Amino acid sequence: MQTHFHIQRVRIAGLIMLLVLSLPVSTWTADRPLNLAEAVMCEGVRDLAPLNPAAVFSIATGKVSCFSNFDTVPSQSYIYHHWYHRDKLSTKKKLFLKPPSWSTYSSIQLREADKGPWRVEITDDKGTLFATLRFSVTD
Amino acid sequence: MDLGSSFIAAIRWQDAVDILLNSYILFRLYVLFRGTNVIRVIVGIAFLWVFQRVAVAMGLIVTSWAMQGIIAGAALIIIIVFRNEIRSVLQAKNLRGLLWGFPYAAERPPLEVISESVYELARRRIGALIVLPAKDDLEDTCQGGLAWKGQLSKEMLLSIFWNGNPVHDGAVVLQGRQVQQVGTILPLSKREDLPSYYGTRHRAAVGLAEVSDALVVVVSEERGQVVVAKGGELLPIQDNLQLEEILANHGARGLHPRAESWRDKLELGTAALVSTICVLGIWFSFARGLETFTSLEIPIEYMNRSSSMEIFGASVNTINLNLSGSGALIRSLNPDQVKVKLDLSRAKVGPNSYTITREDIDLPPGINLKSVAPATVEVTLDVPVEKELPIQADWSGKLPENLILESVKLVPERVRVVGGSQILKEIDTLYTDKLPLNTLKTSGAMTTRLALQPGTLKIADGARDKVVVRFTLRERRVR
Repeated sequence: MQTHFHIQRVRIAGLIMLLVLSLPVSTWTADRPLNLAEAVMCEGVRDLAPLNPAAVFSIATGKVSCFSNFDTVPSQSYIYHHWYHRDKLSTKKKLFLKPPSWSTYSSIQLREADKGPWRVEITDDKGTLFATLRFSVTD
Repeated sequence: MDLGSSFIAAIRWQDAVDILLNSYILFRLYVLFRGTNVIRVIVGIAFLWVFQRVAVAMGLIVTSWAMQGIIAGAALIIIIVFRNEIRSVLQAKNLRGLLWGFPYAAERPPLEVISESVYELARRRIGALIVLPAKDDLEDTCQGGLAWKGQLSKEMLLSIFWNGNPVHDGAVVLQGRQVQQVGTILPLSKREDLPSYYGTRHRAAVGLAEVSDALVVVVSEERGQVVVAKGGELLPIQDNLQLEEILANHGARGLHPRAESWRDKLELGTAALVSTICVLGIWFSFARGLETFTSLEIPIEYMNRSSSMEIFGASVNTINLNLSGSGALIRSLNPDQVKVKLDLSRAKVGPNSYTITREDIDLPPGINLKSVAPATVEVTLDVPVEKELPIQADWSGKLPENLILESVKLVPERVRVVGGSQILKEIDTLYTDKLPLNTLKTSGAMTTRLALQPGTLKIADGARDKVVVRFTLRERRVR
């Protein structure tokens, strides 16, 4: 019984500590704007990390991904990945972000007609541009 | 536009000169050769030529060929047979006579002098034979004779026919105010019905009157009678007034100045009109009848463009014109004479569509426009602006399987370009020329140029047109 009480006390203390520790963090992130910490083009995403970041991708790879990591996410929001092939919008991906930080990515399948220079623009829902990533799709 | 006005509009000043000049030449030929047989033969050849043209138009190959041969032969025959007439025209006339003189205008024999002389000869019983030519040429009819070319006077005639004069037996030929020839032998008439008291002199007068339109005055040596022979008839003359009247009515050589002047004017006016009509017909046949086609590729010239705008593109740079006209005009047509001008005074920024009309095309007179291709031209005008754009490397080829092109850095990263505002609105990136991946082994740098698309884009003054591409390669990690 005493042991049970002890465990109960430890749980409550842990909860209080978690609350105490988490409160300042959430308060701190809410004050800061959405911030893109990392954005790379890569061959894929594995274990929440970009795989083989590069500036040139072969069609043989099959797909290309745009990985973006936001270290500050003040609130639930959306960002967009705008994929342009030679200045022409090819696709627009809407991606969900959650506080306090979030990593997300979008991908496209590569076809023969996709050869050439590409760029991906990362913006929020208000159109604020966070980054432009440039790459080429080749043989 | 009706046919008449379009025809007049198509006539060039060269055509007018061509027609007038040749009409005048034809008219002058008539004036110089009128009264000779040359004119009749030329008229015959003209009919043959018309017949030959008709044969050509109807597709009668052998007939047209034969006519052509006959015409060529006839032209040669004219030169050979009528060489004397041609020579006399070319030699006897001075430059004024050849170009604009009228030979008959000055040839007006004085009626009173002839009349008085004839009756003085009759009174003195001196035989005389005086020929007054009309339109016919007497050179082939009369033989012998001496060129006299003396001023006509009563004394002159009396002395010529004086018995002691060696040339008194022949006939005198008067030409205008001149005694042209003396001692001339006239052809004798073979008529049987002439009165027996008429001698050789009368027979000669009738002989010439039978074969020509000349008037011959005979003075009988034995009876002192005056007789006039014309058209094969012999007419006894009662007095000098009757003679003057007959002389005045004698056709060609203007014995009656006023009547002669009126007839001459009418005849020459008709000849001038006919000459012009003939040349017009020939010109029309050559210049208009044989329509020939050609095709020209003409560059478009843009006119009246606003100084604030520039042409940033056109669907075509040249227009293909299908033209027609006479063979001579088409052969002499120089492409520089043909212009295609588009008026851009109402052009707006952006694409402008223009339909090519006849008013946009300058053609030499006599050349007709058949068709235009293309009929519509798209011209894109714009206001030139400057814009700074990021540069992106445009890789091509294939990297070795074990390598990854990890990063690329361009120097400069951005460049200023000049182009049409509408075009630059659509452009967010400038690309380099194709950069080959196949040869890359290690990290490094390369220099390349910008691939400016569309071609109307230009690097702004002072901006670099070369780009240094620094790239980093790394080994591919095992997945």
